[in-house]
Amino acid sequence: MSTAALTHDSQEHHGAPAATCKFGMIIFLISEAMLFAGLLGGYVVLRISLNGFPWQAGHAWPPSADIPHLPVFLTSINTVFLLASSFTFHFSEVAVNKGKSGLGWLAVTIFLGSLFVGLQCYEWTHLYHEGLWFDTGGIYGSSFFLITGFHGLHVAIGVALILWCFLRQVFTKCFTPSNHIALQNVALYWHFVDVVWICVLTLLYYV
Amino acid sequence: MTAITADTPVNETHGHDEHHDVGFIKKYLWTYDHKMIGLQYLWTALAFLFIGGALALGVRWQLGFPGAAVPIIGNMLPTTVAVDGSIIPGGYNMLVTMHATVMVFFVVMPLLIGAFGNYLIPLQIGAGDMAFPLLNELSYWLYVLSGVILMAAFFVPGGAPGTGWTAYAPLSAVAAYNGTPLGQGLWGIAIFINGLSSIAGATNYVTTIVNMRAPGMKMFRMPLPVWSLFITAILLILAVPVLSAAAAMLFADLNLGTSFFKPQGGGQPLLWQHLFWFFGHPEVYIMILPAMGLTSEILAVFSRKPIFGYKAMVYAMIAIGFLGFIVWGHHMFVSGMNLTLSAAFSVSTMVIAVPSAIKTFNWMGTIWRGSIEFTTAMCFALAFVSMFVIGGLSGIFMASTPVDLFVHHTYFIVAHFHYVLFGGSIFAIFGAIYFWFPKMFGCMLGETLGKWHFFLTLVFFNLTFFPMHNLGLGGMMRRIADPTVYDHLRQLQPLNQLCTIGAMGLGLTTFVFLWNVISSLRNGKKAPKNPWNANTLEWTVASPPGHGNFPVTPVVYHGPYEYSVPGIEKDFLMQTEKAPEGAQLESH
Repeated sequence: MSTAALTHDSQEHHGAPAATCKFGMIIFLISEAMLFAGLLGGYVVLRISLNGFPWQAGHAWPPSADIPHLPVFLTSINTVFLLASSFTFHFSEVAVNKGKSGLGWLAVTIFLGSLFVGLQCYEWTHLYHEGLWFDTGGIYGSSFFLITGFHGLHVAIGVALILWCFLRQVFTKCFTPSNHIALQNVALYWHFVDVVWICVLTLLYYV
Repeated sequence: MTAITADTPVNETHGHDEHHDVGFIKKYLWTYDHKMIGLQYLWTALAFLFIGGALALGVRWQLGFPGAAVPIIGNMLPTTVAVDGSIIPGGYNMLVTMHATVMVFFVVMPLLIGAFGNYLIPLQIGAGDMAFPLLNELSYWLYVLSGVILMAAFFVPGGAPGTGWTAYAPLSAVAAYNGTPLGQGLWGIAIFINGLSSIAGATNYVTTIVNMRAPGMKMFRMPLPVWSLFITAILLILAVPVLSAAAAMLFADLNLGTSFFKPQGGGQPLLWQHLFWFFGHPEVYIMILPAMGLTSEILAVFSRKPIFGYKAMVYAMIAIGFLGFIVWGHHMFVSGMNLTLSAAFSVSTMVIAVPSAIKTFNWMGTIWRGSIEFTTAMCFALAFVSMFVIGGLSGIFMASTPVDLFVHHTYFIVAHFHYVLFGGSIFAIFGAIYFWFPKMFGCMLGETLGKWHFFLTLVFFNLTFFPMHNLGLGGMMRRIADPTVYDHLRQLQPLNQLCTIGAMGLGLTTFVFLWNVISSLRNGKKAPKNPWNANTLEWTVASPPGHGNFPVTPVVYHGPYEYSVPGIEKDFLMQTEKAPEGAQLESH
């Protein structure tokens, strides 16, 4: 959902103040958090009922030996890229606050975000060739693909939003130290997607 | 729209649309004006009310006269619903499912939250518009889109979904079980998009109420409709995304071969019920809290008395909203639940009776010794309280696990939720339409036809739904297409026919309402600014209000329910009026 875009557009039409836009974004992100809470909560419940807690005897995840393991190492590297992108986004905000364009850091953020999506796509195809897909491996495959799919979609939308900010800054130089609420809201969204990823990573890959 | 001859405009951007004709599309179809968006919701949801009502009549026809050809339209029905004019069992399931889905997501929610929420929030808090007008309009069109997708389910191979509005898995999750994978898939998509619409709207409402109140409009000076919509919006923010997640899982189970709700792959059908009812019970309050808020306003105005216990009303709504999140298990007593857990859910459910009773007694305290004016709006509001009490009391039966085990899958529960959803929400909606129609359209909604509409609705509503209590306790199960195939139900068939006759009367009565609306719009009495001598801010501006609502940003001096204040000559004191020396105000 490109609410950042929406709040920004409406701001141009009716002038909702920046604080109001930010408040709206936070409310929206709370509902996003509930979406992921539903998905991850469902996964946790299914997994515990099927296979017990990780510290219990007989616990095995993936639940059977013929299901391929997830590429934990590659994804950990990928996580570093995503986390780094939150910092670079922040640097670009800092730059805008100082009256600079912030374009360089935004470009780096777009690159890192795209890299994350690209590597996730690679991971999906890799697992598909290994024989893991939505319809194989029971709830192991189901949860992995649906949850990373939802999260990946959010990252992709985030990259699109940052690209939109980038282009606006290139062509209209609209972000100034006093007014860059669209950038701030996209940043909020981006950090949120990062935090969700930490939860997804922990529950799907590490535990 | 002559109201905007402003001394000082609210801000420069407002009012600019007054000076030129914006054209049909910009005025009616793609508008940023919260009032027009509210009316868009109103008309669309009323259209869905007729669709949902027609579906209900199909259901009632089959139950009253099983197998008999549906009169008039029988041969026009799709073959998935009826063959040779008679409704088939699978088609009956589709009618039930679509009736419930339409009424919940496309009638009651859009009317209460979409129509009245959009129309009233900015006007009652003294704002020029919603915080995010574009998001607001987008929310409306997402709602329309989801409605079109849902209706399309009737026309795809296999037909509409027939798994009930609760879409219990694994029936809903396995194509081979339900036989309507396409329809069920469209149902999932429609619910998901409808959820986006709700979240967009709710984000807007919360932001607007928190950030855009007029000077002096403290939280505890807000009219109760705004409070109720505020709490409802928070419930939407927290509950709807969980349904979206569940709908996505269901869609994946149906179309991508995942196994969230399929035991074969390690999934659990019961997970669907938990996710669904985690949304579904707050949803119950999402559909009744705004109705309570609207009713409170009407009762106070037409009793000419302050609302009894304003703060208690607010706290009761907050309590209901909070408790709504910890009672979902009472929908699952018969699904195989741990007894300790079911006892806990039983207790938390019964606790909800406390804030509900606070509200009910406060409504009675409000009208107690008031100078009651029996306008149509007031009649509907009074009926709301009475019908809600019946529905609320039968709810306590269901909260008790041992009782619920016997009545859960019977018509007793159908009677219960129609008493709160129709007798409650829909009555409040009708009352609110009669009350705010003058503001919305600048003309009064006819009182004579209105009274006919009210009395016929009340009589036929009770004729339709009261016997269902008896049917349920007599053992009639829910979701059966033909009661006459069961020995023990044959003797109850006359009651079923009585319900059906009542339902037909109810259907016809709706046309009285429709006719009233059309004739009032064409030559109704012109409405003044404040036809009911009410206190809240929307009555300080023209009917209908101009673009930007308030020519001058209003300043609020006290609470909204200062009626018959000792020390003031007239029996109301608008929120923008300062109280004279010596007046004893209720609020601060």
